[in-house]
Amino acid sequence: MRKELVKFAVVMLWAFGLLFPMLGAQIGFETFTFEWSRLVRVMGFVAVAYGALAAQRAVSAHRKRGHRDPGPGLAERVPPLWGWGILAAVALAFPWFADNYARDVAINVLIYVALGLGLNIVVGLAGLLDLGYIAFYAVGAYTYALLNTHFGVPFWLALPIGCVISAGAGAFIGYPTLKMRGDYLAIVTLGFGEIIRIVLNNWDRVTEGPNGILGIKAPGLYYPKLTEAGLTLGHVYLKNLTCLYYIALVIAVVTIIGVYRLDHSRVGRAWVSIREDETAAELTGIDTLRMKLLAYMLGAIFAGLAGAFYAAKVRYVNPSSFVFLESALVLCIVVLGGMGSIPGIILAAAAIIVLPEVFRDLELYRMLAFGGAMTLMMVYRPEGLIPARRRRLELHAREAFAEEEGNA
Amino acid sequence: MKTIHRTLTALLAAALVVAPGLSAAKTLKIGSLSPLTGPYAADGNDIRHGVETAIALWEAKGGVPGYDKIEYYPQDSACDGKQAVSAANKLANLGVIGVVGAYCSSATIPASDVLNEARVPVLTPASTNEKVTERGFKYMFRVCGRDDDQAKVVAKFLSQQLKVKSIALVDDKTTYTAGLAKNIKKFLKGTGIKVVAHEHVNQGDKDFSGVLTKIKATRPDVLYMSLYNPEGNLMAIQARRLGLKAVLMTEDAVYHPNYLKIAKKAAEGTFLTYGQPPSEDIPEVAAFINAYSAKYGQPGSYSAYAYDAANVLLSAVAKVGADDPAKLAEAIRATRMQGASKFIQFDGKGDSGSTYKVMVVRDGKFVPYWDPDTGKLY
Amino acid sequence: METFLQQMVNGLTLGAVYALIALGYTMVYGIIQLINFAHGEIFAAGGYIGVITLSFLQSRGVLEAHPTLGLVLAFALAMVYCAFLAVALERMAYRPLRDASRLSLLLSALGMSIFFSNGMMLCQGVYDKAYPIQLYSTGQFTVGGAVVSYIQVYIFVGALILMIGLNLFVNRTRLGKAMRATAQDKVMSALLGINANRTITITFVIGSVLAAAAGVMVGLYYGSVRFDMGFIPGIKAFAAAVLGGIGNLTGAVLGGMIIGMVEVFAAGYLASEYKDVFAFIILILVLYFRPTGIMGEQVDDTRV
Repeated sequence: MRKELVKFAVVMLWAFGLLFPMLGAQIGFETFTFEWSRLVRVMGFVAVAYGALAAQRAVSAHRKRGHRDPGPGLAERVPPLWGWGILAAVALAFPWFADNYARDVAINVLIYVALGLGLNIVVGLAGLLDLGYIAFYAVGAYTYALLNTHFGVPFWLALPIGCVISAGAGAFIGYPTLKMRGDYLAIVTLGFGEIIRIVLNNWDRVTEGPNGILGIKAPGLYYPKLTEAGLTLGHVYLKNLTCLYYIALVIAVVTIIGVYRLDHSRVGRAWVSIREDETAAELTGIDTLRMKLLAYMLGAIFAGLAGAFYAAKVRYVNPSSFVFLESALVLCIVVLGGMGSIPGIILAAAAIIVLPEVFRDLELYRMLAFGGAMTLMMVYRPEGLIPARRRRLELHAREAFAEEEGNA
Repeated sequence: MKTIHRTLTALLAAALVVAPGLSAAKTLKIGSLSPLTGPYAADGNDIRHGVETAIALWEAKGGVPGYDKIEYYPQDSACDGKQAVSAANKLANLGVIGVVGAYCSSATIPASDVLNEARVPVLTPASTNEKVTERGFKYMFRVCGRDDDQAKVVAKFLSQQLKVKSIALVDDKTTYTAGLAKNIKKFLKGTGIKVVAHEHVNQGDKDFSGVLTKIKATRPDVLYMSLYNPEGNLMAIQARRLGLKAVLMTEDAVYHPNYLKIAKKAAEGTFLTYGQPPSEDIPEVAAFINAYSAKYGQPGSYSAYAYDAANVLLSAVAKVGADDPAKLAEAIRATRMQGASKFIQFDGKGDSGSTYKVMVVRDGKFVPYWDPDTGKLY
Repeated sequence: METFLQQMVNGLTLGAVYALIALGYTMVYGIIQLINFAHGEIFAAGGYIGVITLSFLQSRGVLEAHPTLGLVLAFALAMVYCAFLAVALERMAYRPLRDASRLSLLLSALGMSIFFSNGMMLCQGVYDKAYPIQLYSTGQFTVGGAVVSYIQVYIFVGALILMIGLNLFVNRTRLGKAMRATAQDKVMSALLGINANRTITITFVIGSVLAAAAGVMVGLYYGSVRFDMGFIPGIKAFAAAVLGGIGNLTGAVLGGMIIGMVEVFAAGYLASEYKDVFAFIILILVLYFRPTGIMGEQVDDTRV
């Protein structure tokens, strides 16, 4: 107990030292005043937060002594089919019980599910760190925006074109990075992401630069209509958020199925082997360069899909939606979800998009809370919310092995 | 357990009975959209403070007739379309009767799309993109000026008052600054002033030495900085440090006490265009400056526009109430009032016109310099 | 010619700023393979402590009388503050993740970066803070028509001295050897009696002290600080560190100089709005032909 108190005192002193100049000093124009009230309040908050964390740690330490089970993930506790069934029912019924704000947020969640799963191919399966993923999203969005405003191409036709162009961009960016490894790859992908954003912002003649592209049409729908002239085709634009929600849902489901199939295919296993040991993978006859390029292209396709939908939903695109922070958010979804785990990524996408909305009433403190939450989530669940089963086996292989030996 | 349940039910029933009686006490909800976090947070918070000042003054006068109190919901738009749309949907759900915002055109355009459909009037204090009001939206208004209005004044000032021969333009590739620079170039045609350089930098840059050295080699008479506040401060310092002798000129986004504080001596002699000199002779301006600076310090570039936007909205509500959005929009359109930034009068599209004056920095203060309407010095 | 010379001066100064930040980046990376996104925020915190110190002294009338003392104090306090900040950061966000995947660590760093920059915004406000002295930032001389400020010379010389000093420190002292040992093999060095945690903390502290010095210098040079000033230089410094061969101190300075030069010359002779594009293209080209950077030797075989 005494040790705890000493530790608490040290932490409080430390916090005081760090907060006192930053919070206290009020610099005006050639004036300097000191404000204590804010400092006292924040110190109080630090004390409470530290107390809560310490209590939590004590409880979890106590529990750990009880049983040494690493704890099954959520995925195992819920029967998979059941879980998916409930999820599907909730997802289908959602817009009928929600208001426009909730629908809008839900659409964003679905867009980020698609993005997260797409990036999961690159990062989670193939093990290539990509910090510029949002560039493909931008490519998809601008492809639809330009095709629609200049040539009147409808959404459904632009979707495959957007995918093809995104895949091309994926190959273009992927190619020079194939030889690089680890963090060299990270900065190069970050650089590519920035290059695409800067070009979009400055190539006025095509992209209208910072003004963005206005007047994009929402997805349209043809339906049979009975008029005096007989059976004709009517056409509506699905601007309604409920309709858009279902389109987003379809895109997310297509992505989920696509990524699931890829994960469990030869290609998926080849990616995992590259992730685990590139040299060994190459020796077993996997064409690593081709596989890596394929990962980039497939990842880009899903981002392009999401991007085209985003442009159709907001009906306006602008380079400021495709900044580095967005790439980081998507990466955060993948890691928080548990690298390669589909249910994990769905849950993480919901968390990452809903959290800032929950924090919206905090106004100025919104991003502070978000940054803090991001670190806390990483510290408390470094393996993700729902670690992929395969991945967890890898991480805990040694323990599992030891257990088996013990049983024998 | 059962008793608790029963008590709760009773309470709920009581609440339902009382509720209609309570709702006679009407609250007026207004919202705002501006970047409260991120790189544009400075201007975003100026906007919020401007709206808060307007509300405080109304409450000091006894509030808006027909309403007991005003509730204000400032939302963070973060200059991002996705977040702005979410925030706009949230405001529409809250049942706000009007929104002040947004700041970046990239947030205003998609957000006003949502709000226009929800029939919520939007008054932007800062988005100068021409397209904002050119979409035929009934509920879209602009309190700040447009790029082309300001550019006209700049061209007139340079050719008639300063009578310079050459100018170098720098913008930072945002909707506002790039549009302004383009328009200045357009209006300078035929005046005999040569544009010797037109450079672009990126918002968030700190080092402009490369661009400025390039500009210095072209020997312009005037360096026009079409920039926002932090970049404008930095560029003024760096231009003087490099020994650039050109006259500095800039626009209303740099009109901020920070320009004087940070650029210090380098700011001396800079010409700026602004809606209206902060003249204490006009009671509306004095009221604003007194109320604002008592609480938040000197007003920033967009504080006055946001204050005016909120005032326009609240006076319209005071006139026709907020029950019928169409009527409210009509009342806003019919506004004729002296504001803190300028005289406000909307045209059919929702633009409020602009009256730019030229100011100069003298002895660490913004001083009125030249009136474009009369062509005379103050 | 005059213009060219001036651009050289501009490029060297900007490069030295990047180099100063990149040195800390590369040290931290060398020891725990972490892209420390929060490094830029530590740099900004240093700038803020500098401005707070100088404003305090000015308000007490000390600055006018003893400007040199004021500057020394500003640097010293900023460095001490950032050292404490770095220890707190390491304990909170990085140490619990020592055995976790490197991606979790990376995102933890990113979360801290967002947290700190917003924290500084809330503490010190959204507006830029002006440095109270222009004395040192305006004194200047000319060489062949190019204007050189004293502060530019200080920044450049400072970067060089720190690079040489750090190289000596890492290669010659016991602590430096412990750092290199820990960087190469944590388990083995622990067996040999090196306290890995302590070594890592010390590395963090040194890197952050450098960032603090850079923050004050940049504040003096540009005349103001701002809560988000760390983000872009942080990314550029990361690029510089990678370009030079990450983990290599001389490489970091070289990388910083190259990025600074490319930016200034791209702005001066090509198109300023595309200067970052040129910097990244150079980076990509170099890495395409030398996948481990200019000075990097060992092939980095670690994975995410």
